[in-house]
Amino acid sequence: MGIGALLGDVVRSLFSKPATEQYPFVRYAAPDRLRGKLVYDPEKCSGCQLCIKDCPSNAIELLVVDKKAKKFVMRYHADRCVYCAQCVDNCRFECLNMSNEQWELASTDKAAFEVMYGKDEDIEYLLQRAAQPGADEPPCE
Amino acid sequence: MTNSSGEKFVVPIGPQHPALKEPGQFQFTVDGEIVTGASIRLGFVHRGIEKACESRNYTQDLYLLERVCGICSHVHATAFALGVEKLAGVEAPPRAEAIRVLGGELERIHSHLLWLGVAAHEGGFDTLFMYTWRDREVVMDLLESISGSRVHYSLNVIGGVKYDITDKMADEIRRGMDFLEERTHYYMKVVTTDDTFVGRTRGVGIMTKEHAERLGAVGPTARASGVERDIRFNAPYSAYKEFPINMIMDTTGDLEARFIVRIKELFECYRLIREILDNLPESDLTVKVKRRIPAGEVISRVEAPRGELLYYIQSDGSDMPARVKARTPSLCNWATISDVAIGHKLADMPMLLVGIDPCFSCNDRLVQVNRPNQTDLNWSWDDLRRYGIEYYR
Repeated sequence: MGIGALLGDVVRSLFSKPATEQYPFVRYAAPDRLRGKLVYDPEKCSGCQLCIKDCPSNAIELLVVDKKAKKFVMRYHADRCVYCAQCVDNCRFECLNMSNEQWELASTDKAAFEVMYGKDEDIEYLLQRAAQPGADEPPCE
Repeated sequence: MTNSSGEKFVVPIGPQHPALKEPGQFQFTVDGEIVTGASIRLGFVHRGIEKACESRNYTQDLYLLERVCGICSHVHATAFALGVEKLAGVEAPPRAEAIRVLGGELERIHSHLLWLGVAAHEGGFDTLFMYTWRDREVVMDLLESISGSRVHYSLNVIGGVKYDITDKMADEIRRGMDFLEERTHYYMKVVTTDDTFVGRTRGVGIMTKEHAERLGAVGPTARASGVERDIRFNAPYSAYKEFPINMIMDTTGDLEARFIVRIKELFECYRLIREILDNLPESDLTVKVKRRIPAGEVISRVEAPRGELLYYIQSDGSDMPARVKARTPSLCNWATISDVAIGHKLADMPMLLVGIDPCFSCNDRLVQVNRPNQTDLNWSWDDLRRYGIEYYR
């Protein structure tokens, strides 16, 4: 072939669409199984904490508001998470899932990476407690 | 060449960006353009992963070890999972093993295409680099649709795999393989016929079979020199027993042979993936493995895209390993560079370097600090033994 073996391909590429995606303008449809942000459903949770036991990056904390009434709040650290989905695999009650829509997680603000999941009144209760001087957080592992 | 005071000229390359985007330092002693000596200094990206494994449980280690390498993440997890399963006395179900192999072969395709691009880039052939990386997106997207992530697939769990292959996915993979096969035929033609490129590869860095064996080369680097060394073939693991591969060999031993071996391996990958998809066994995806792994030790060997990957796992009966040791293929191949470099032009060094497809961060397992007053760095067998006894006392 001599010199310029790729020339034909190069000329063809001149007249074809760019291979790169025009990302911020055109949003790529993520595959169904994409492992994005962790989503927690407090209704189904039994508080077994198996998800925490196997998390490789300590990204999940479970704050127990009332163990008997099964009131839990999950504090999820999106910046620590390695998106391996082991917690989803461990969960026997299917209360954890990794979203395939929420994957644009960049933020200039660190507070955005600490996500609280739970019933609104439980989160409210915890935040109020934390605001009181001297009050400890409920136990978590 | 020496200057008036009798000192040798040494050209240091690295640690920042020595041809590749990973840190490593190379010192080439030159006589004019010709390299007369080479030394390699590594250890800039030592991360203490082996030690970190000892304070995490087996499942957590799986994800940590997956992050040893950003290119061949799946084989690391596979090697570890296979080792732990052996210790626990369980075997993953056949479908899980097949999916593991499928993931491994898809990963090999992405690794070899990436390497082809990098090697072309080092040879000053950026057009080929751009095209191979564009086509590599096909296999990256396939891996993403199977597992949910482009780089760290996390397919493995101890005792099986997490994700199944649906019929729709199998069709997608087959379509992707058809496209890539056509492109690979084209790249094979380009790499073996383009005069400018062949000028950089043919007859450069020739390593004979005896030489490769003496230096302990592994993977495609060894196979390009005619050494029959492929763990998938020599000691089949996982589903390679049911889906055997054909070992790709070449006898020339130069850089061009390494290109040819890797590209031919791509064809072999396409064939194997189609075969697995057509004969995917029906079974569960996981077996239950207890959290506590019985005490014992095991060596697990798999064939990574770059060559033999070895894991040593020692268990003390708890849910955390007592010791994990990984030896990655790049480490075995370094000697081939420092040895083969002699007699070549300095301008050939980047090509020689990428010829082994090095992965720096993979192989940095230990950092050795040279103390100014410590001159003797050679340890005898007795020294090592004494050190070992002291360490585990």
